[in-house]
Amino acid sequence: MALSFTRIFDNDWVGPGLVSLAAIIGISIFQPSFLSPFNIFVLLSAIAVNMVIALGQLVIIGIGQMNLALGAFGGLVAISFVAVMELYGVPPFVAVIIGFAIGTLAGGASGFVIARTGISAFIITLAGLQIFKGINLGITEAQPFYGVPQSVKDFGNLSMLGPIPWLVLPMLIASIGMWYLFTRLRIGRYILAIGGNRTAAELSGINVTATVIWAHAISGLLAATAGMMLVARLQIGQPTIGDDWLISSFAAPVIGGAVLAGGHVSVAGTFFGVVIIAIITQALVLFAIDPFVVQIVLGGLILWAVGINRLRELRVAKLNERA
Amino acid sequence: MTDATSNILDEATPEHRRGSGLMRLALSNEFGLALLIALAFGIFAMTLPGFTSPFSLFTIGRQIGIDTMIGLAMMAVIVTGGLDLSVGAIGVCAAMVFGYLAQIAGVPLPLAIPLAIAFGSVLGFINGYVVVRSGVHSFIITLASMSIFFGIMIFLTQAQSFNALPLAVPAMGKLRVGGPISILLIITLVVCAALSIFYRYTTLGRQMLAAGANARAAELSGIRTGRIIIACHMLTGGLAALAGLMLTARTGAAVPSMAGHLGQDWLLPAFLAPVLGGTLLSGGRVSVIGTLLGAAFVTIMTSGLLLMRVGEFWILACLGLMLLLAVLADRLRHQVLRARGMI
Amino acid sequence: MKSVAKITAALLLGAVACSPALADPGTKVALVPGGPHPYFAAWEQAGKDAMKDFNLGAGDYRVPQKWELAQQSTLLESLLTQGYNSFLIFPGDAVGTNATVSEIVDNGGQAIATAGCLKDPTPALFCLGTDTGNSAYLGTKELIKAMGGKGRIAHFTGFLVDPNTQLRIDAVQKAADETNGDVTVVQVIADIDAPQPAEEKINAYLAAHAADVDGIVTTAWVPAVTAANSLRKIGDKRIKMVGIDHDEVVLQAIKDGFVNGTMLQNPYGQGYLGSYVLDKLRTGCTLKADAPWKSNALTAKFVDSGTVFVDAATADTYVDAMRGITKTLLANFEKDFMACK
Repeated sequence: MALSFTRIFDNDWVGPGLVSLAAIIGISIFQPSFLSPFNIFVLLSAIAVNMVIALGQLVIIGIGQMNLALGAFGGLVAISFVAVMELYGVPPFVAVIIGFAIGTLAGGASGFVIARTGISAFIITLAGLQIFKGINLGITEAQPFYGVPQSVKDFGNLSMLGPIPWLVLPMLIASIGMWYLFTRLRIGRYILAIGGNRTAAELSGINVTATVIWAHAISGLLAATAGMMLVARLQIGQPTIGDDWLISSFAAPVIGGAVLAGGHVSVAGTFFGVVIIAIITQALVLFAIDPFVVQIVLGGLILWAVGINRLRELRVAKLNERA
Repeated sequence: MTDATSNILDEATPEHRRGSGLMRLALSNEFGLALLIALAFGIFAMTLPGFTSPFSLFTIGRQIGIDTMIGLAMMAVIVTGGLDLSVGAIGVCAAMVFGYLAQIAGVPLPLAIPLAIAFGSVLGFINGYVVVRSGVHSFIITLASMSIFFGIMIFLTQAQSFNALPLAVPAMGKLRVGGPISILLIITLVVCAALSIFYRYTTLGRQMLAAGANARAAELSGIRTGRIIIACHMLTGGLAALAGLMLTARTGAAVPSMAGHLGQDWLLPAFLAPVLGGTLLSGGRVSVIGTLLGAAFVTIMTSGLLLMRVGEFWILACLGLMLLLAVLADRLRHQVLRARGMI
Repeated sequence: MKSVAKITAALLLGAVACSPALADPGTKVALVPGGPHPYFAAWEQAGKDAMKDFNLGAGDYRVPQKWELAQQSTLLESLLTQGYNSFLIFPGDAVGTNATVSEIVDNGGQAIATAGCLKDPTPALFCLGTDTGNSAYLGTKELIKAMGGKGRIAHFTGFLVDPNTQLRIDAVQKAADETNGDVTVVQVIADIDAPQPAEEKINAYLAAHAADVDGIVTTAWVPAVTAANSLRKIGDKRIKMVGIDHDEVVLQAIKDGFVNGTMLQNPYGQGYLGSYVLDKLRTGCTLKADAPWKSNALTAKFVDSGTVFVDAATADTYVDAMRGITKTLLANFEKDFMACK
C-alpha cells in the first residue's frame, strides 16, 4: 500500500499537477469568473501555444543541449507563413506545409552543424538566433504582415467544443506525439540516452550525429507549429513573435521535472509547468495587482510553486528510504 | 548542458598531454580567439575608414570593458555548473542603490562604490543560500529572484532615474587614459588579473573549480560545497554590481532601464563572452582571459559590421553569420593543428 | 581555414564596396529610433523626402537591431564615426540616452530628441514629439465622452521602465478624477508591449471583468492592436475604446465600430520637420531663447508635433489632417523658433 502510494508520488507530473489543482481551486473560490467558459477558453489558448513552445525546448533539453534559436525559428516561420499567403496568394493549407518545412529545415541545419562540428549547441543556436531573427527583420523591416486569411483567424479564435479552442488540437497532437516518441520510439530512447551519458550512448552503438540532427529538426518543427498557432491567435504576422519564448520555454520543462543536464524529461510534467505559469499570469490580472508589484508577486509565486514541488520530492525520498 | 566535445582544450584528453607546451598554446581556445580578433581587426582597420579613429577605438574599448565585466559575473557562477539569470537585475539594483547613496543620501563616492558592490554580493548571497538550502536548480531560483529583485527596484524607484550624480561619475565614463583607452577597460583588466590570480593561487578559487568539476569528489575531500556555491553566487553578485556601476558611469546616471526589462538585456553578453572564451557550462573550467577575448571579439565584429553599413535591417543576420564563420574557422584550425601534431 | 578567411575577407570587402564614399557632406541626418517598431516606419520616407527637398547630404533611417539601450548607443557612436553630424533620436531612455547625445555634441554633432523627450538637463537641442501625457489625457477625455460621462475604465499600457508609462498612467487618472467620481480607473495593466503577453493578459482580463468595465483606453501600440482584436473577438460594442497610433487593425476596428477612435501621432512630420531644422541650424540659424517652447514633465524645451483624435468619420482622411499639421508646423517654425542670418 505504502509502496504504490510512493510510486504514484514518484512521478514528475504529480507535484506540478497538485500545485495546478490547488491554484485553480484557490483562485476560483475568490474569483468565480475564473471558471467561466470564456476564461477557460482564454486560458486553454494560452496553454496550447506555450505547451508547444515548451515541447520544442524539451526535446533539446532531453539530449542535454539548449536551443536558444527556438523563438527565432518560430518568428521566422510565423512571418513567412503570412507572407506567402499575403504576397503570393498561397492557400493556408500549403502555407502551413511551407511553414513546417522552414522550421524543420532550420532546426535540422542547426542540428547538422552542432553534430558535425562538435561545437557547443549554445554557440551554434545563438548564432542561429541572430541569423534567423536577422532574416526576419530583413524581410519585414519590423512591419507586421496583415494578410491573414479568415480561416486562419477562425482557427485561432473559435472553439472546437464548448470552451475548448481549436488551438488545443495541435497541442494535443504534439504532446501525444512527443510522449509516444520518448516512451515508445527508438529515436526518443536514443535522445534520452545521449542526454544521460553521451559516451556510453556512443559506445553502445547509437548514431549520435543522426540523433542530434533529428532532435533539432523536431525542435524546429515544434517551433514552427507554435509560430503559426500564434499567428492564428494574434490575427497578424508580428515580426516580434518568438522574442520572449526563451525563458518560459525552459521554465515550464524544469518546473515539470526535466533535468537541465539532459537524459530525463516529462511531457506530462511540462504540461503542468505550462499550466502553472499560465495560471500565475492570469491570477495577477484577475486580482488587479498594482502593476508596480506584479513582478515581485510573480517571482514569489514561482518560488512557491517550486517550493511545494520540492517538499513533495523530499517526502518521497524519505518514504523511499524507509521502504 | 553542453557537448563534452565542445571543450576545445580538454585537459583530460591524453593526446594533448603529449603535445609540447607550444602545441597546447596553439590549440587553446584563447589563442584561436586572439588570432580571429587580430584578423578581424586588421581587415577592418585596412578597409573601414574611421574604424581606427580615436573615438572609435575609445568606444570599442569601453564596450569591451563593460561586456567583459558582465561576462565575468556570469562566469563566476558557471564555475560550479550553475547559472544566474538575475545578473542584470542585480546589476541594476546595485546601480540604483549607488544612485540613491551618491545623490540623495550624499554618501561620498569612495564609500558609496564599495557599499553598492557589497549590496550586489548580498543579493548574490540570497540567491546562493536559497539554491543550496532548497536543492532546486539555480535556473529556477534565479528566474524567480530576477523577477523579485527587479520588481522591488521598480516599486521603490517608480522607474525614476538618479540623474544628478556627482560629476565625477559621468566623467569616469568619458575618461581616456593613454590616448584612446577607456578607464573602464583598465578597470576590467585589473579585475581580470585579480580573478586569474584568485582562481589559480587561492584556496577558495581552487575549491570553486574542484567543486565544479566534481562536486561529490570535492565533498569527499573535505570541501564544503554548499558554502563554495554560496561564495560563487556572492562573487557573481559583486561583479554584476561592478558592471552596473560601470554602466552607470557610461550613462552618467543610474537608470532603471539600462539593462532592459528585468535586466534581460545582459543575458546574451553574459553567456556569450565566457562560452566563446572556453568556459564550460557544466562547470569546472573557467577562462578569465577567454572571457575578455570573447567579449572583445563580439564587440569588434559588431562595431565593424555597423561601420560597413550593411542594409539597415540585415546587420543582425550578418552578425550571426560572422559568429558562425568564426567558430567554424576556429574549429578547422584546431583540427588541422591536431592532425599535424599527431603525425 | 584559408578558404574561410578568404570568404570572410571577400564578404567584408564586398560590403565595403557597396557603401557609398564618404566625401563631404553637408548636413548628414540620421534618424535613429529606439529599436525596430512599426511606429517609426514613416521616418524612412520622411528622411528621404527631406533629403531631396532640402538638399541634405543624407537622410538615413538607421535602426538598432533590438530595443536595448546599449544597442542604440553603439549604433549612434558608430554613426558618428561614419560622419553623420545631425541626429533625430528617439531616446532609448529619457535619462540614459543623454550620455550618448553629449558625446555626439562633444564631437561636433547636434541632435533633437524626437518622438520622445530627454530629461533636462540635456545636451539635445530640444524635444520634438507627441506630448505623451497630454495625448493620453485627451484620449481619455474622448473615451469618457463616448461613455456618456460615467463608468469604469481599464487602462492598458507599455513597459514600466519607460518613464512615459508613468506619465500616461497619471494622465488617464487625471482625466478620470476631473469627473468627480463619475468615472473611475479600475485597472492598469502594464508591461504588455509585446504581442504574446499582451494577448494573454488582455484576454484574461476581459474574460473575467468584461461586465465590470465600460471603457478601455490603451496608450501603447501593441496593447491597442490586441485590445481591438479582443473586442472584435467577443463581439462587444458596449465597451467603448480609444486606442493609439495608426495600426491597420485599429483603423479597421474603428471603421467596423468595435473601437471608438484612436489618438494619432505624427511620425512623418517629426522626421521631416526635424531634418529641416537640423539643416537650418547647421547653416547659420540659431534657436531663439525666447521662442514659444512648451514644457512637459521631462523638458522645458518641447515642440508638439501634433496629435489628432481619429474616429470612424475621419479614419480615411487622417493622412491629410496630419499633412496639414506638418505644413503649419514647418511654416511657423523658422519664424517662431529660429533666428537666421
